[in-house]
Formats: sequence, C-alpha cells, structure tokens
Amino acid sequence: MDTLYTLFIDPLTKIYFLKALAGGSIVAIVCAVTGCLVILQRMAFLGDALSHAMIAGVGAGYLFMKLVFGVEAAAGAMLVGSLISAFITVFMIGFVAKVSRIKEDASIGIMYTGVFAAGVVLVSVFGKYIHIDLMHFIMGDILGISDFDMVVSAIVSAAVLSVIILFFRYFKITSFDPVMAASIGIPVLLFKYVFTGCVSLIVVSAVSMVGVILVVGLLITPAATAYLLTDRLEKMMALAALFGFTSILGGLYLSVWLNSAGGGAVMLFATLQFLAVLMLAPRYGLLADWQRRRNMVPQQVIEDIIASMFKSAKPVADTDITKYVEMKPKMMRNAMKYLIEEGLASGTDMYELTDKGRTEALRLKKAHRVWETYLHYMGVPDSELHEKAHVLEHYNDLESIDYIYEKMGYPDTDPHGAKIPPVYSDGSFCLTALYGFSDKDVEIVSVDTDKDVAVGDIVRIIHTDDGWSVQKDGGTIDLTDSEVESMTVRFLS
Amino acid sequence: MVSSDYAIQVRNLTVSYGPKPALLDVSFMIQKGELVGIIGPNGAGKSTLMKAMLGFVKRDIGEVLVFGKPVEQTRGMIAYVPQRGTVDWDFPVTVADVAMMGRYGHLGWWRNPSKADVEIVDKCLEMVRMSDFKKRQIGQLSGGQQQRVFMARALAQGAQILLLDEPFAGVDAATESAILDVLAEAKKAGITLVVVHHDLATASEYFDKLLLVKQRLYAAGPPDLVFRQELLSEVYEGRLKVFTDLLKG
Repeated sequence: MDTLYTLFIDPLTKIYFLKALAGGSIVAIVCAVTGCLVILQRMAFLGDALSHAMIAGVGAGYLFMKLVFGVEAAAGAMLVGSLISAFITVFMIGFVAKVSRIKEDASIGIMYTGVFAAGVVLVSVFGKYIHIDLMHFIMGDILGISDFDMVVSAIVSAAVLSVIILFFRYFKITSFDPVMAASIGIPVLLFKYVFTGCVSLIVVSAVSMVGVILVVGLLITPAATAYLLTDRLEKMMALAALFGFTSILGGLYLSVWLNSAGGGAVMLFATLQFLAVLMLAPRYGLLADWQRRRNMVPQQVIEDIIASMFKSAKPVADTDITKYVEMKPKMMRNAMKYLIEEGLASGTDMYELTDKGRTEALRLKKAHRVWETYLHYMGVPDSELHEKAHVLEHYNDLESIDYIYEKMGYPDTDPHGAKIPPVYSDGSFCLTALYGFSDKDVEIVSVDTDKDVAVGDIVRIIHTDDGWSVQKDGGTIDLTDSEVESMTVRFLS
Repeated sequence: MVSSDYAIQVRNLTVSYGPKPALLDVSFMIQKGELVGIIGPNGAGKSTLMKAMLGFVKRDIGEVLVFGKPVEQTRGMIAYVPQRGTVDWDFPVTVADVAMMGRYGHLGWWRNPSKADVEIVDKCLEMVRMSDFKKRQIGQLSGGQQQRVFMARALAQGAQILLLDEPFAGVDAATESAILDVLAEAKKAGITLVVVHHDLATASEYFDKLLLVKQRLYAAGPPDLVFRQELLSEVYEGRLKVFTDLLKG
C-alpha cells in the first residue's frame, strides 16, 4: 500500500508535478489534435523546422529588449520574436520552393538550418548580453514550468483549438483534396497559412516544456498513434488528444520514478505507447496483420471447396473435400469456419452448402463456363479449355463476367454443351438453375406472365412433379416451365 | 446566371510553365449538354487544359469563359473529378464523408450539413451504385469504386459542368459500365461533361465530340472528323499502325 502511495499519490501532492501535468496536458492535447492534420498533410518535417528556427527569434527578442529597454530575459519579447522567426522561415520555405526548381522538402532543409544557425551565431556572438541557456532551450523543462509560460500556453492552445474546431471541415477538405477545395471556391492558400500559423504558435508554446528536439514528437507521435486505430478524422483527433494527455501523465510519473529529465520521459512514454499500439491495434496493428495472414485461406481455395461441395450434392466430410482440394488440415478447419461464418455452408462434421452457398457455387460455375466459352472464341484448343478456365474462373467478379457474357451475345451453353447457369450480378438467378432449394421466401426480380405474379412480390415457390406453384398471400398460382425460365428471383438476405 | 449557349469557351489560350508553352493558342467552344472527350498523347497538355478550364493556371494570354463569364468568377459551377492517383487513399475519411464534401460549397461557414444535403449525397451515391459502402474508409475500396465515389461527390456539387480527369484509366469492366451509365444520366439531366481520355479505341464510342490536343488544338468536332489518318499520324508520331487498324475498324 505504502509503495503504491509513494508511486502514484505522492507526486500528485507536489505542486510542481501538478503544474507540469496541467500545463503539459493543455499543450500536448492541442499539439496532438493539430498533429493529426500535420501528419495527414505530410508536414512532420515542417514542425521540426519551426521549432529549430525559433531560436533565432528568441535570441533576437532577448537582445532587442536588453539593448533598447535594458530588460533582462523579457519572456513576451522572446515569444513574439520566436513567432516572427517561425513565420519568416515558413515564408522563405514557400518562396524558395515556388520561384526555383528546389522542391519543398529541400527548401525546408535549407531554410530552417539557416535560421537556426543564425540564432546560434547570434546567441554566441552576443553571449555577454544574452543569458540564454541553450541546453534549456533544446531540452525544455516541463517540471520547472513558469507561470508566464503556463498562461501563454493556455491562451495559445485555446486559440488554436478553437480555430481548428471552427474550421474543421475546411481543414479536412483542404488537406484531403486541395484541388477540389479550390474548385468550389475555398481559399486553400489562406487555410494553409492559417494552419501553418497554428502549428507555429503551438510549437513555440510547447518548446518551453519539452524543448526543441522533442516538440516534434509531441506533435506527431500521439496523432500517429491515433491514426493506427481509426478511419475517421474526427475520432482520430479525439484519440490523439487522449494519447497526448496520457503521454504527459505517464511521462511525468516516469520522470519522477526514474528521476530523469521531464521532457525526455514524456517523449519516451509517448513512443512506447505508439509502439504498443503499433503491435496491438485491431486493424492496422502488426499482431492483427500477422494473425490475419496466418488464418487466411486463399479465396481460390474457398471457391474450389464450394465447387467440390456443390458437385457432391450430399453432405460431405473434411476428407471428401480434401480429395478434390489439396490443403493442410489447419487450413481446412479455417476454411470451413469461414464458410460457416459467411453463411455459405452449415454442419459440424458433415458439411452442406446453404442456399447462399449454392448460389455462390452457381456463380463460380457460370464464371467457369463463360471463361471456357471466351477461350473457345479465342481459339484455345478444346483439350486445354477446362484447365485454363479452371484457373480463370477465380477471376469471377460477377459484373465483369456478365460484361464478357454480354459481349459474347448471351450464349446458352459453353463449348462442351453445358448450360451456363442463369445467375446475375444483382444476386438474382433463374429458378431452373437451383433445383430443390429449401422452402424459403424469395423476391421476384423479373417475370414475364399474365398471371398474378409481379416484380417485387415476396413469394414461396415449390417445385412439384406437376410443375411450379407459387404461394403468394395465402393463395397459390401455378406457373409453366417457360414462365419459370423467364423469371428471376433473389433470396431475401 | 446562365447567360450563354456555350458552357465553356476557350479563346487563344496559351499557358507556359517553363520557356516552352504547354498550350499554344488553343480556342474551342463546348455547347451546353455536350459530352466531350479531350484526347492526345502523354504530355500533350491535356491536364493543363483541364486546369485552365478550372481557372487554376496562370494564362499567358487568352481567356476562358464559363457560361459567358470569366472562369475566375464562376467558382463552383464546374465540378472536378481528379485522377485516381492524386489523393491520399489512407486519409481517414469514409465514402459518405467524401461525397458530402461535394456539398461544402453550398454550406454556410458554420452550418452543419442539413437533412437535404444528406439526401442529395445519398441520391448521388445511389446513382453510382455505391450506397452499400457509405461507412467504408476510401482506401478499402477497389479502384473503380473509388472513382465512382468521386463521381458521386462531383454530382453532389450540383454543378452544371463536370470535368473528369482520366476516369477510365485502369478500371474494371463493371466500373467502366457504371461510369458510362452515370455519364449518360448526367447528360440526360443537361449537364455538360468534359472528359480527359487516353484510349483512342473507345473515344469515338463514348463521346459526342472530341478535342485532339498536343500543345496546339489539332482538331475539334465529331469523332469521325477528328479520326483522320493525317491528323492522328501527326499527333501520335511513330505509332501509326495502331491507328490504321483503328480507322479501318
């Protein structure tokens, strides 16, 4: 108990810890939200550039106040200075990229190192006037955060967050498809500048806490962590904010326990958090990916199993299937699991295709026969037709098959004289294709008769020795074979 | 608002990026409701022409009029369907999100999409047969499906002119027919369609009118006028055989 108290509660009673937690969280949350747009626009490098360029502004601001007003270390002036230098850097980057053949990434590399270097030279030349601890600037000091920094961060964060929320839709579209955004009259360039401004502001206010080097991490890492977990920008921002907060919380504890630098601990925690999510994320994680690959049954095998089950026409065991389709027992189990999950087959030891499975089998059969017909037209010798079509039948997107079928003029049979099953890409099929399907309601998709059966009717159709009877609204209507042949139906899904 | 019989008029348009002009003295007119294909070899300036019609490139000389007005004053009247390669398919947006972007131009700055907007988007997705995929992230669609989503977005804009950049490039048969259906339906609704197209074999089948471009405009008119041996051989130098076949067929 005592250890737990010392580990978790004790730090919370320290004012420096609480201040770091509050100030750090505010900045980290806004950094993370902004960071989502930064990584989606592939601007990570720019964040790095801005934080480095600041040092020139800090030095210049310090020097200006000292020489003109004699004020030592005027925090306000340093802040304004760093913003100005950030903006100048951004402007120069854009300028060079625009007027020359230098691309933007190279332009960033030139300009930020240039401005950073100017800052370093400035600080060292005027070393006797400027008392800036470069190490502090580079490493930050989240545990010794000043009240002034805290207030500034809070204001800046609130402002940036408001801008992003208010113009969320416009940031989204200008990041996603700037050309289209411009074509509907959205001022893309303006939004780009506003956004760059936001990034500069938030970077400048975060540098005092985690330092020049780590600030990019605060901008990028929580956002990237969230990116692995969701497919909606809104959710990504919310999750990123959460990860920003947990980075600060976890990092601060880490720094207290290990007695290490605050900024370093925060970024270390954020990175570990990222790596954990990278491993474990349900959809985009490495573990899930590995699992998927391991359990994956190739579509081709699934289709061959369905075809072989259809052929046998009665319930089959694993061993019957492996006679036709070669595979390991483990894959067999996964394949059957998949078929049952998808509602294509049923059974436990003896398996049987469901109605859905049988329509799927017909679809494959149609693909096979359409391909055979096509190959026949192309002059492939008859002896090779089956084998080649057996490979091609796995290219069986029904719409494409229907397209080829249409181009060949809807032949009734394939070159061997076998009937091409009348199943269609909208999921409908002709009853003659699927004899003896179980007693189930179907929807009429197309029909050509004077009798009281119309498109859209939900009916039950029974095939007897005398012909076809359609049960509709309690009544029964008999149909002739030719009427049934002209009719297509669809299972209610 | 619509004050001219011509949807698009381009007059003496010259655009250059470097020392060499990408487009030189191009003039043509497109009537309302026409389905026009822009053809020409790679690097012929087709995309530049498209950008010029959107008012995105700086013109050296010449003018582009949309419904009789300078293109700069007609933002939103032309909907643009980009080439497949130009957006980030990992971007965290769903099919419905992308289609809704078509409505952004009609929404107030602070206004959220209304029920009517949602209905329009639903209808447009229906039209391109993508209603079943609304919640899908766009990277998890096939290339053809992605193309259809972008067409739905353009339709949702409610623009009178659609510009499509290579919609048929690398799509499957199903998408090709879906796109053609959508084009036909849009045309029926009186929408003017301008399509950058690279496949000469299908160009005469798909379009009412063709513009043959290679830096200059070589020909404009119905496909049988544009598909003339001497024109094609001049524009597509050295790849003649294909075209002799094509002209025969």
